[in-house]
Amino acid sequence: MAHVVLKDLVKTYGGFKAVNEVSLTVDDGEFVALVGPSGCGKTTTLNLIAGLIPITSGDILIGDRVVNDLDPKDRDIAMVFQNYALYPQKSVYMNLAFPLQMRKLPKDEIDRKVREAARVLDMTQLLERKPRELSGGQQQRVALGRALVRDPAVFLMDEPLSNLDAKLRVQMRSEIKRFHQDLEATIVYVTHDQLEAVTMADRMAVMNGGYLQQYDSPAQVFAHPANMFVASFVGSPAMSLIPLEASTANGATALTSAEGWSLALSELNARKVQGATTRKVVLGARHSTIKLHKSAVPGAIPAKAYTVEPTGDITFVQAFLSGAIINISVSPTIAVAPDEQIWLEFDQERIHLFDGETEMALEAN
Amino acid sequence: MSTIAETARLGQARRRASIDGWRWGGRIFLIFMLLYTALPMIWMLLTSIKSGFAAMQFPPQWWPDQPTLASYQKLLDPQNSVGQDFLRFFWNSLFVSTATTILSVIVAVPAAYAFSRFTFPGRNFLFFAVLLRNMFPAVIFLVPLFILMRAIGLVNTHGSLILTYLTFGLPLAIWLLKGFYDNIPVQLEQAARIDGATRFQAFVLIVMPLSAPGIIATAIYSFIGAWNEYIYAYTFLSKNEQLTLPVGIQRFFSENTTDFPGLMAASFMMSVPVVVLFLVLQRYFVRALTEGAVKH
Repeated sequence: MAHVVLKDLVKTYGGFKAVNEVSLTVDDGEFVALVGPSGCGKTTTLNLIAGLIPITSGDILIGDRVVNDLDPKDRDIAMVFQNYALYPQKSVYMNLAFPLQMRKLPKDEIDRKVREAARVLDMTQLLERKPRELSGGQQQRVALGRALVRDPAVFLMDEPLSNLDAKLRVQMRSEIKRFHQDLEATIVYVTHDQLEAVTMADRMAVMNGGYLQQYDSPAQVFAHPANMFVASFVGSPAMSLIPLEASTANGATALTSAEGWSLALSELNARKVQGATTRKVVLGARHSTIKLHKSAVPGAIPAKAYTVEPTGDITFVQAFLSGAIINISVSPTIAVAPDEQIWLEFDQERIHLFDGETEMALEAN
Repeated sequence: MSTIAETARLGQARRRASIDGWRWGGRIFLIFMLLYTALPMIWMLLTSIKSGFAAMQFPPQWWPDQPTLASYQKLLDPQNSVGQDFLRFFWNSLFVSTATTILSVIVAVPAAYAFSRFTFPGRNFLFFAVLLRNMFPAVIFLVPLFILMRAIGLVNTHGSLILTYLTFGLPLAIWLLKGFYDNIPVQLEQAARIDGATRFQAFVLIVMPLSAPGIIATAIYSFIGAWNEYIYAYTFLSKNEQLTLPVGIQRFFSENTTDFPGLMAASFMMSVPVVVLFLVLQRYFVRALTEGAVKH
């Protein structure tokens, strides 16, 4: 196993910058998820690490070796593809044996390693089958087996679960996590599903528009999103973001809405707002931190329920406030009807504040 | 409720009826096409086992009274001058067609792969340029090619035919094969390269076997094109011992008589290699080899 270092990695296609000065370090044995919406550059970054496409500038280190100009075969990596990319003309056995044959291992050693991998992944009885005779989950497992059969320095995984049905995905998710723990493997895992990243990764690199937005543990990313993009991308339903204006009267700071209501800020939050470049401030709150009242309460802001979605153990209520959609989760024992008048109370300890111009999180200095 | 269910049922019935109508239309069309293609072949076979006299009879003998293999014996007999000629023509055709096929596969496979996988300056222009040759009727190139062949001293050699047939066959071979390569997911090669293969090994070990049906289809296409070609062979070759079958078969027509059973027997034997080739290799056309490679 080895660590991976990306230094100011850039990939351009013509004038288009697909990957923009991305720098990050994946520690030895760490599981890192590259996560972001379609076209954010995460798969390109993975292909750059794999050596499948040439880098424009920057450096990639695997272990302590600069691999910028090495062929994929010389980088000591293994990759699991979104569509599995199993060799259709080869049996499962030969699929698993291929990487070993390419490294010219002796036949009996190949046989031993293939059978060992098959045993670990519980597919010994499938060895003679062709990929087309396997179910999606089994194909996925063969792809995983082909990656682990030869002990690479780094595992690269490109949305390996996105072709599975929901139930299988949850199951394979825990299998891959288990696989990571047992092998202490260094894994770089690309996904567009923030839930996968949050549940599996030691650290997640949130990307957008080719830029690395934030690189931290899922808990940190969730609790302290660096900017509005990360705040809205991580967590489901998304964090509510309400554009407001900061105003100070009699030494007290409040956020006021064009709709006429205002929210007085605590002293700590007031200090955060002072760091904003303009008076425009965006208030962020996760669904679970907003309290819903059915009658007026001091400090609570009136709104109208728009939709109500019961999911069983939690009911999600959506409301509009200052033109933004607000997600609130409530206990199913609280009955809310669409168009009903409600009052929303924000938790000063748990709200997030963003600079309305730069979209960066505001911190107290 | 009931009205919705009823409408649905009616709709279903109507849909089924229209599908059946199309299906029957299709069957009748296919039967017609089958007769259209098979009847001349059958008549060729029947005539080839008749005597010269029976072949000319009118009304025709639908089934020969005295079937005979005399024509075949004559054609395949190396002692007899007709047999000698026929076997030589057959060999010439086989040589020219096989050489054309092998060369066109050797050139078309890497060319098609390059068109499918790489971007390089002039790619689109080149790709359409290869088709340009096939936009004109073959005869247009007859005289220029003849002059060219004479200039480089290839007239009256089989090389002139092989080169000419390549100019017909290669562009389409490249187009056909490019389609096959386009359908092979690039991730398979990427996986192979990560698994330790060089780019070339990935092509030879993974992509080539998967494109086997395409290569075979292309090969058969080139072979048949060269095997049946008449006008260039007629123009470029004048020495008797060099003629290919389509030209050689002409000798059955003479000023006063035409040996129809002989002509038909020769035609039949000329179609044998193509049919055999097709029967042996046809399973490769139908087998969808890439199935199961990737999830769609």
